[in-house]
Amino acid sequence: MSDRPDMAAPVVLDRARPDIRQFASQAKLPGFVFLALLVLGLLDPRIVSSGNLWNIAIQTSYLALFAMAQTMVLLTRGFDLSLGFTVSLVSVISAMVMTGSGDMPILWGIVAGLGVGLLIGGLNGFLIAGVGINPLVTTLGMANIVMALASTVSGGFPVPGVPEAFTDALAEGRLIGIPVPILFAALCFALLFLVLRFTVFGRGLYLIGANPRAAKAAGVRTGRVVAIDYVVCSLLAAIGAMLLTARTGSGEPNLGGNLTLESIAAAVVGGVRLSGGEGGVTAALLGALFITIISNAMNLMQVDGYLQQVLLGLIILASLILGRDHKKR
Amino acid sequence: MLELTGITKRFGGVVALDGVDFTLLSGELHALLGENGAGKSTLINLIAGTYGWTEGSCRIDGQTVSALTPQKSRDAGVAAVFQEFSLVPDLTVEENLFLGREIKGRLFLNRRAMRARAEERFRDIGFHVELDSKIETLTRAQKQMVEIAKGMLSDAKILILDEPTASLTDGEAEKLFAAIAGLKARGVGIIYVSHRMAEIRRLADRVTVLRGGRKIDTVAIAAASDATLIEMMVGQPVERLYPSISQRPAEIVLATRGISVSGTVSDASIVVRAGEIVGLAGLVGCGRSELCRAVFGLERVTSGEIELHGAVVRAPAPHSMLRAGLCYYPADRGAEGLALSRPGRENVTMAALDDPRLSRGGLLKSWRERRAIAAPLKTLGLRPMAPERAASSFSGGNQQKLVLARGLMRPVSVHIFDEPTVGIDVGAKSEVYRLMKSLVENGAAILLSSSELPELVHLANRVHVMREGRIVAELKADGITEASVLRHYFDAQTGATEAA
Repeated sequence: MSDRPDMAAPVVLDRARPDIRQFASQAKLPGFVFLALLVLGLLDPRIVSSGNLWNIAIQTSYLALFAMAQTMVLLTRGFDLSLGFTVSLVSVISAMVMTGSGDMPILWGIVAGLGVGLLIGGLNGFLIAGVGINPLVTTLGMANIVMALASTVSGGFPVPGVPEAFTDALAEGRLIGIPVPILFAALCFALLFLVLRFTVFGRGLYLIGANPRAAKAAGVRTGRVVAIDYVVCSLLAAIGAMLLTARTGSGEPNLGGNLTLESIAAAVVGGVRLSGGEGGVTAALLGALFITIISNAMNLMQVDGYLQQVLLGLIILASLILGRDHKKR
Repeated sequence: MLELTGITKRFGGVVALDGVDFTLLSGELHALLGENGAGKSTLINLIAGTYGWTEGSCRIDGQTVSALTPQKSRDAGVAAVFQEFSLVPDLTVEENLFLGREIKGRLFLNRRAMRARAEERFRDIGFHVELDSKIETLTRAQKQMVEIAKGMLSDAKILILDEPTASLTDGEAEKLFAAIAGLKARGVGIIYVSHRMAEIRRLADRVTVLRGGRKIDTVAIAAASDATLIEMMVGQPVERLYPSISQRPAEIVLATRGISVSGTVSDASIVVRAGEIVGLAGLVGCGRSELCRAVFGLERVTSGEIELHGAVVRAPAPHSMLRAGLCYYPADRGAEGLALSRPGRENVTMAALDDPRLSRGGLLKSWRERRAIAAPLKTLGLRPMAPERAASSFSGGNQQKLVLARGLMRPVSVHIFDEPTVGIDVGAKSEVYRLMKSLVENGAAILLSSSELPELVHLANRVHVMREGRIVAELKADGITEASVLRHYFDAQTGATEAA
């Protein structure tokens, strides 16, 4: 028997290493994005022209908003399958209010749009956190309701004639040389980044995602946090919806059809885990950028639309498989 | 039949095993003892072929084996039953036994042969379980037995059991012990990992003690006293595992008045005073845990009242109870205690995020968080002291320290410990007891629900015994002995109160 006192615990030498590894895995996606641009640029120089790069940046900002919204609920092991149709309904309602009569139609249109988001998010949050219904079922049901409402309210046709002041400001406008949609995405990104990292609410989201029972037993007000989370998600969707409405110049009942899937795809490709508790808005942003670059390139190269959908699906599956391997290690 | 010489295993920079020798004889039960992180798991995983060793040599049945993989290890007659079950919940017992190695006929599976083989195996280990029942309907003991049967299916000669009794009741454990005796008689060599000294004393022939990745010694169990073994494990003489605590009961801080929880607790009244430890004893499933959880707001109270610091608590909920200075430490660390994928730091602070030290107006004071956890973790002796690592990377005892640290992160006057020492080693146990001592002597109140009688006998000032959801006895001071507590576990006739 030895009496050496220093044997109590194995010596920890690898303290610095996980950081390097973590950095490497985080740097992987930006690397991929850059590589994709490089390869695609070689295939078709139009893709890396400055005009197209701006185009990519603007397109990314819309998808990034929706991916960030989706990320907020994915973090808690949730889902928002109603996100796409929320975008449609917000678009239709805000356009109808803006094209109606009254004082300051644009302001009221924006208020109405945010109100719709608040309402949908509040209902989702109440049903999931308050009543305790599964997020998948809740938001799927909500998706149906919202889709039907968007079609009914608009009669199934676009709502034309959105005021030019609105489209000029939100779609064409630039501030200090930067297009407004990009500014909005950047602002939301910065805000959410800080919320996730430096607030009790943000910490709560991660803890709930990692282990909801443990979070509750440690006094995290899980119900409240999750409910608020769904409101945040829908409000972000509403903001994105109005930016898109400004871009199309009309309220579109079919505006959000694909956005539910695309938002989930971007988040997952970026590294947000469907099982909750891992990932963040950086992942959502990078995922959105990656997907936008790929679709942009496919458009320029005139890849068939259906084939594009197939490739998008494959990318999602591939990223899920790669992500799973990463976790195993 | 198994001979390891000078086995060394490194994981990156961490030396998990350092030149360990180990032998296993046929028909022998060889126990592995050591604190968490001593290298027991590494050693059994090497033998099971989970990962290879860095240096050293291995002989099985006289044959030198250069490297083991799970497949090679199985072929050599090694079967391992780890703490985590490998059973598929929605398949039947039989389907699980033969999963991946079904006996095939010419075209279809040979069900009859499989059935016969399964029945034979369960007969061998002297245990009966319905082969057609689904795994998810079985008790933990039954699952454990199925795991063992599965391990024995291929006529294993070496069986590894990793804490097989960790979640079994005493009766269930008895059945397991009987099965073990049967296996030994048939010449199977068993490597047995457990933290329970009584169990090892009863079952083992030889004991190997590991500490810090090194082998301290291998001794015949008959030749070593418990004190010697513990001393070998911890590395210093253990004056006593249980500290002497001076209990100075003062005012009542927590009282339940006839509270009931549907189906588990009925009409339970207890009081806990500042400066004392009150024990809750009873069989697993007697409602002890539910009573604790109800007080903290994790179970719904259907009737009765909870009074904290003299005020009736209207709607108990974890966040408000924490704010009122009551903290509950969950029994099941993985399920309810920890957010395993998150860093240790976040697990330590998660019950105190609303404390002014850590946040203001919902904003985290991140720069303070790292500093705030330093003192509590030092007090508890977290090893390794690396709170940025995921909670899952710590050993059982250190995970428990992460859970317990939450009580030091904010002002807490009533601590409710639910099975605080389940599945943790002696060293960590004594650290938990020292924590309780310092809390109580500084005027806190402790409610301790435990299956470990020695714990209650040595630590508690008073003990309430529960049976079938009711409080059936209150024992005080010198009246608390294992025998007196046990009597109330089963006997309905005994008087309600035994005064000192």
